[in-house]
Amino acid sequence: MEPVNLFQLAAQQSRWLGVRQSAVAGNVANANTPGYGTVDVEPFEKVLDNTAASLKTTQAGHLRGRTTQSGFALSQEDSSKSLLPSENSVVLETEMLKAGEIRRQFELNTAIVKAFHRMIMLSSKG
Amino acid sequence: MDPLAAALKVAASGLSAQSERLRVVSENLANAQSTGETPGADAYRRKTITFSAELDRASGGSLVEIAGINRDRSDFPIEFMPGHEAADEKGFVKMPNVNVLLEMADMSEANRSYEANLQVIKQARDLISMTIDLMRGQ
Repeated sequence: MEPVNLFQLAAQQSRWLGVRQSAVAGNVANANTPGYGTVDVEPFEKVLDNTAASLKTTQAGHLRGRTTQSGFALSQEDSSKSLLPSENSVVLETEMLKAGEIRRQFELNTAIVKAFHRMIMLSSKG
Repeated sequence: MDPLAAALKVAASGLSAQSERLRVVSENLANAQSTGETPGADAYRRKTITFSAELDRASGGSLVEIAGINRDRSDFPIEFMPGHEAADEKGFVKMPNVNVLLEMADMSEANRSYEANLQVIKQARDLISMTIDLMRGQ
């Protein structure tokens, strides 16, 4: 029905950005926790490729890798490689950079959805 | 649970952890001169705070929680004050093992982490209102 699956794509990206924002929030909150490794979400290209190998589960209780309920895989960096004696690999500056990136992408995303919505309204209202 | 709401929850846990840390720092600074009251008694021991990451099952985010508030087991510095009520028979008084410079450094680090968490809350709130703005009529 929909010639461009833009709304679906935009919704998927905004969900992914939300998950990434919560990963950044977790990193910032744990910036002083000993032995904590930085968490990040798989890149969005990978989500689109949808080639991430997922194990088949025959029972609901089978364990999978750590994923969020929205289905994006999270990866945790090995904190033992950190230079700090507390073995914490969070760098606040990098997290702030990531947050800026998320904001820019989210702004772009909502602006595009808004523009498409306006176009649809224009064609339906005349 | 909505990931943005989860981000708010996680950052809020960071705020409360850092404010607890600030409380410990202020206790240490306030008691930097608190000696014992009987001859040879121990002075105030510096408190330390440690954090740990806890996976929140409802949201999938890692909250931060306080693993424990412990006491610094290092030795007390000794000062010679014969007239003091906590002086032992040789006139030495045990002073608290609080290093004011260290507490100040800890305070500014707590401050910086608190600000970072605030920044995350502001941003998550902005993202949510950007999404709500989509529904606003032109």
